[in-house]
Amino acid sequence: MEGRKLKGRFGSRGKTEAEEGHNTMSQAGPVTETSSKPAAGANARRAKTIEAKEVNLYYGDFHAVEGVSMTIEPNKVTALIGSSGCGKTTFLRSLNRMHELTPGATVKGNIELDGEDIYANGVDPVAVRRLIGMVFQQPNPFPTMSIYDNVAAGLNFNSGRVSKADKDAIVEKSLRGAHLWDEVKDRLDKPGSGLSGGQQQRLCIARATAVSPEVLLMDEPCSALDPVATLAIEDLIGELKKEFTIAIVTHNMQQASRASDITAFFNLDESGKPGHLVEIGPTDEIFTKPQKKETEDYVSGRFG
Amino acid sequence: MPEVRTEYQQELDNLEASALGGLDLVSSALSRTLEAIEHQDIELAQIVVADDDRIDGRYLEVHQALITLLATQSPVATDLRLISAMLHVLKNIERMGDQCVNICKVIPMSGHEPPADEEMVKLILSMGTHTKSLISQAKRAFEERNVEMARDLVVRDDVVDELNRECFRLALAIGDDADKREWAMTMLLTARAIERIADNAVDIGEQVAFVVTGLFREFEDASHPDANA
Repeated sequence: MEGRKLKGRFGSRGKTEAEEGHNTMSQAGPVTETSSKPAAGANARRAKTIEAKEVNLYYGDFHAVEGVSMTIEPNKVTALIGSSGCGKTTFLRSLNRMHELTPGATVKGNIELDGEDIYANGVDPVAVRRLIGMVFQQPNPFPTMSIYDNVAAGLNFNSGRVSKADKDAIVEKSLRGAHLWDEVKDRLDKPGSGLSGGQQQRLCIARATAVSPEVLLMDEPCSALDPVATLAIEDLIGELKKEFTIAIVTHNMQQASRASDITAFFNLDESGKPGHLVEIGPTDEIFTKPQKKETEDYVSGRFG
Repeated sequence: MPEVRTEYQQELDNLEASALGGLDLVSSALSRTLEAIEHQDIELAQIVVADDDRIDGRYLEVHQALITLLATQSPVATDLRLISAMLHVLKNIERMGDQCVNICKVIPMSGHEPPADEEMVKLILSMGTHTKSLISQAKRAFEERNVEMARDLVVRDDVVDELNRECFRLALAIGDDADKREWAMTMLLTARAIERIADNAVDIGEQVAFVVTGLFREFEDASHPDANA
């Protein structure tokens, strides 16, 4: 089973989970499980751990992020906070192999999902990005596609293995999971672009969850939203963590303190130096008695 | 790094000064209370009672401002612990003021005759002087964020407790005369009130430790007297 695990989950180039004969309807965890129907607690078991060890990130020669080691725990929300340019988004994007999409960008160090190196030879980055989904700052539903097709987009790309009935079920489940179903169930065929900002973002979340990822990464998901929509997304994140591992970059300290279980504080010593992880701990401790003065100064707003 | 949130910091500093200033008001009330006891001065006692409004006013004013800061500035970490500590300290101050009032209200009851037991009066005045010194130390410990100085309050409070027990023994031995017994009982109430003021000073010390360490521990727990703090 061991050798199968790596290729099976991340697939070698050109193959996807569906093509390897695994029904995307199975809501159980890694494809290595042989049981066919998920047990009640299986949804929680979907969430997996990401382990980063001595991660260093570069844009060409520029050393952007230095020596980050941390664990992103399952069924918890980990917030990455820190001032602009401190590397938190760069680090986030290395977790699902998006960092390398920037020309010249490189990664050193080790990043593992559920104990498997996501950068190992033969690993398909596309498969990694399905298991580690991402939601961006600017809601970006596919503008010409209907709400239904937006959610089903990931399934569609996987081919004809999914029946219409199955697809309908997945779309409804994902929209319900994103707290959007009631608002859109009567207009699934309308364009995704017709929704409000908060609704569009929830649509993007539904799209990301429809492909049964193990981890959800969110890069300032509420920055473009009004306060009410922001709180609605935070409530949603509280629900989503029951099923997924969540990491969220935010520059809103109150959001980090409201919505996360663990907070990681990144900082730069000075402009031009690489960002690094200063402190990571339970959110309540970071905000009531942080260990480092640097953290204390940042969360208290003593420097920008 | 550039200074940010200077107004907020200034406001916090001002409120701390205001809150601790309440301790000065208490100290002054206690001094006058002791004087009233010593000289059986009913008029002075009435002034202390009336002036307690100033202490209550300080409590309300600073309390309101702290709540506003919580609502508008999202304080965290040390700032938050400091605000929480100040809310506690304000309550301690208000209680200390009330204890002075309690004492001053029973002074007329002891009448204009000479005291039934000079010894008891001396003990009470001694308790009072010692307690004033505790208040001073508590204030300094808070200003300086000095945990050692705060912990020392427990040791010094033991002296006040012992004097209080001594008063109790003297009261028990006062004899059968009804007037004397009544006098002794009002003196016991007075001693008890002073002992409570001293305890409040120790509580302030516990808040100092909380601000500095982030941990709240009772220095001395009445329900577990033998446990180490």
